[in-house]
Amino acid sequence: MSRLLRMEGIGKSFGQVRALNNVSLELDGGEVLALMGENGAGKSTLMNILCGALVRYEGQVYIDDKPVQIGNPVVARSLGIAKIHQELQMAKEMSIAENMFMGREKCNWLGLVDKKAQEEEAKKWLSMLELDLNPHRPLKSLRVGEQQMVEIAKAISLKARILILDEPTSAISKQETEQLFRVIRRLASEGVGIIYITHRMEEVFEIADRLEVLRDGEYIGTVNAKQTDRDHIISMMVGREIKDMYPKEAVPIGDEVLRVEHLYLNTPQGSSSRPLHDISFTLRKGEVRGLAGLLGAGRSEVFECLFGVHPALTSGDIYIEGQKVTIKSPRDAIDHGLSFATEDRKGKGLVLLRSIGENMSLPLLKKFTKGVVMNTGAEKVEWDRQMEAMRIKAPGTGTLAGTLSGGNQQKVVLGRWLITRPKILLLDEPTRGIDVGAKAEIYQLINNLAAQGIGIIVVSSELPEIIGISDRILTLCEGKITGEFMRGDATQEKLLSAATLREEASA
Amino acid sequence: MKQGNNALNVRETIQKFQSYIALVVIFIIGSIICVKNGRNTFLSITNIMNLLRAVSETGIIAIGMTMIVLLGDIDLSVGSVVGLVSTGCAALMMHNDLEFVPTVLICLCMGAAYGLFNGFVVTRMKIQAFVVTLASMNIARGLARLWSGGAGIPLSYGDAPGLAPPAFEVLSKRVGGVVPVPAIIFLVLLSIFWFVMSKTRFGRQIYAVGGNATAAHLSGINVKNVKMIAFMLSGLLASIAGMIHSAQIFQGGPNEGMSYEMYAVAAVAIGGTSMAGGKGTMFGTLVGALIFGMLDNIMGLKGLNSNVQLVAKGFLIILSVFLQAVKKDD
Repeated sequence: MSRLLRMEGIGKSFGQVRALNNVSLELDGGEVLALMGENGAGKSTLMNILCGALVRYEGQVYIDDKPVQIGNPVVARSLGIAKIHQELQMAKEMSIAENMFMGREKCNWLGLVDKKAQEEEAKKWLSMLELDLNPHRPLKSLRVGEQQMVEIAKAISLKARILILDEPTSAISKQETEQLFRVIRRLASEGVGIIYITHRMEEVFEIADRLEVLRDGEYIGTVNAKQTDRDHIISMMVGREIKDMYPKEAVPIGDEVLRVEHLYLNTPQGSSSRPLHDISFTLRKGEVRGLAGLLGAGRSEVFECLFGVHPALTSGDIYIEGQKVTIKSPRDAIDHGLSFATEDRKGKGLVLLRSIGENMSLPLLKKFTKGVVMNTGAEKVEWDRQMEAMRIKAPGTGTLAGTLSGGNQQKVVLGRWLITRPKILLLDEPTRGIDVGAKAEIYQLINNLAAQGIGIIVVSSELPEIIGISDRILTLCEGKITGEFMRGDATQEKLLSAATLREEASA
Repeated sequence: MKQGNNALNVRETIQKFQSYIALVVIFIIGSIICVKNGRNTFLSITNIMNLLRAVSETGIIAIGMTMIVLLGDIDLSVGSVVGLVSTGCAALMMHNDLEFVPTVLICLCMGAAYGLFNGFVVTRMKIQAFVVTLASMNIARGLARLWSGGAGIPLSYGDAPGLAPPAFEVLSKRVGGVVPVPAIIFLVLLSIFWFVMSKTRFGRQIYAVGGNATAAHLSGINVKNVKMIAFMLSGLLASIAGMIHSAQIFQGGPNEGMSYEMYAVAAVAIGGTSMAGGKGTMFGTLVGALIFGMLDNIMGLKGLNSNVQLVAKGFLIILSVFLQAVKKDD
């Protein structure tokens, strides 16, 4: 039997950086291969070569044992290779059907687009994936998970034989993940070869037949999913054993630092923000509080309300160290000792075109001003201190933030907020898209900050993480608090059932 | 491998300094080709000073435009503000017999207020700057025509009523008979704003807002105020250019300053400032203005048809922005 796909001796350099070196990959039809590795391991580069986004590479690609030259995305598509991107690449204003037939519109004899025929055909493909969606609906009205399904349907309709899924579950709910897995299994049973990229270890063992691990652009190995376990894979990924991912340390819990009472967020119709309903909780000094919930449950919205992002839509009382405070803008929040590290570092956290140092100074520009001039001396002292404390790997504080890896970018964001000497730290998905080594450093940092008496609230989609680092965990579902768990009492099952409480009740 | 890296570095360096290289190349070309009857018409002090004077008006506007473009916005109204202010200062002096200081102050306030209006509509009514300033460009022209009745107002200087204060004439003079006053004003303003952009809090805020407005907002920066101030400064600088302009041509009128917004944007773009915002420098804008002015100057010296010049300048803008945008493909 011939191999569906074989990549042999693949190498690629970007300038001085060797991104891939002599990497191989094999994929059979009907198989799910998980491609694992830390950020920067070369997974994306390898996949970009496969789908024609990168020209000029070393090595040879074979499809059905025949050598092929993938020069551009069109060739890749004609070879039956389709990639579902991390950030979906579709026109949000256009309908499902229009997106599925973009670039190959069905036309009637007048040369006009035959919307009806397109929608009928689209419907057929959607129902194949058990999707009950009206193809006429504009894409923007769908949830992220549904949009992703539409992209998969499009790929299948293009007769894709090799389907690449790049972190497909990073932005979708548990239910949608399960649906996605059903679709993946079904496609595999029909002979499609699937390459699945993810950081989530639990998923890999649920869906993958084999796992291939890359590290620093090198091929490390391929193992059968049934003959390995999580720790083994992690040690392959990082090149060392990680015994304890969550080094939680006992820290004396102090007085109450934050009390939130009856917080409401009234979002207007059609807003992308989830309305919040009667949120009340407290946070103590040195305490790490987890905020669990599905994507879209309103977790980020809680942070945004505390931080004065929606002043006109927010109601409720906020007390900091017992004093009632009014927060009408992020400026007010910062001045009251709050800090907010957003989930989307590149989109909402950093000014990528500016230096590490300038990014760190942003909340305190006034403090660092002497007369009319920026007091670069005082700034640099803080920059250097944070560079060292955060162990940011960069040539210097003048390095542009956009050139850093995800982990280092997150450290810059954290360094920025620590300069403000916060009382309360809000961390939204602090380890998302960060490699395993940097994750451990961030967990350690959270411990250290708690030990200094800072109250910390962490939002995370990864339940093991939130269980591992929190003293108390709140679960949120559809904008309401649905449960509270103490450390030691929380299990993944309990959190998940609390986080899906309302959905099941309303279903 | 090693050699490849060097080649890459050379390419990157050339890309980084391409506007400076272009400036030098054009200067050399001008020095070579502009020889008439054995005399170099380009390399004379008089010509270089003329060049500086010629770029000073659009250069001053380009200073404000640099801030606006760094914010990811654009201000198309500046040319019309030049028209409005040139009309205004001529009318105030010739018709209303105002003295030098009140005239200048009123004109500055006019420009600043106009910019503030733009900024207000952009930030508080949340309309794109392109649309707002496209509309306000017409408003300023219309106001100028209403003010002057559509005609230009010639300036003549003297102390008698109905004449402009002689102090205003300074704007058309040359220091020591050599260095044009507008060029000095331009370079002083440029230095001030270079300082503002690179050394002050406001400069940091502009780069932060232009680079990532959400991140700036979440870091406690008042994004709206930063934009408002930038638009105000843009209007203010346009009003300075407007006064210089009317002094230079001894006349103020509603049709003055036509297409100046284009020349200012061109200087900013040629100087390497990204139209998407967040990236660029005042020094780049100086280089951009000089490149543009030098080509203008050389084409003029060679006696090129002015319509051909217009076509050439249009293509130059496209070419330069294209060169800035070219990236290593992989």
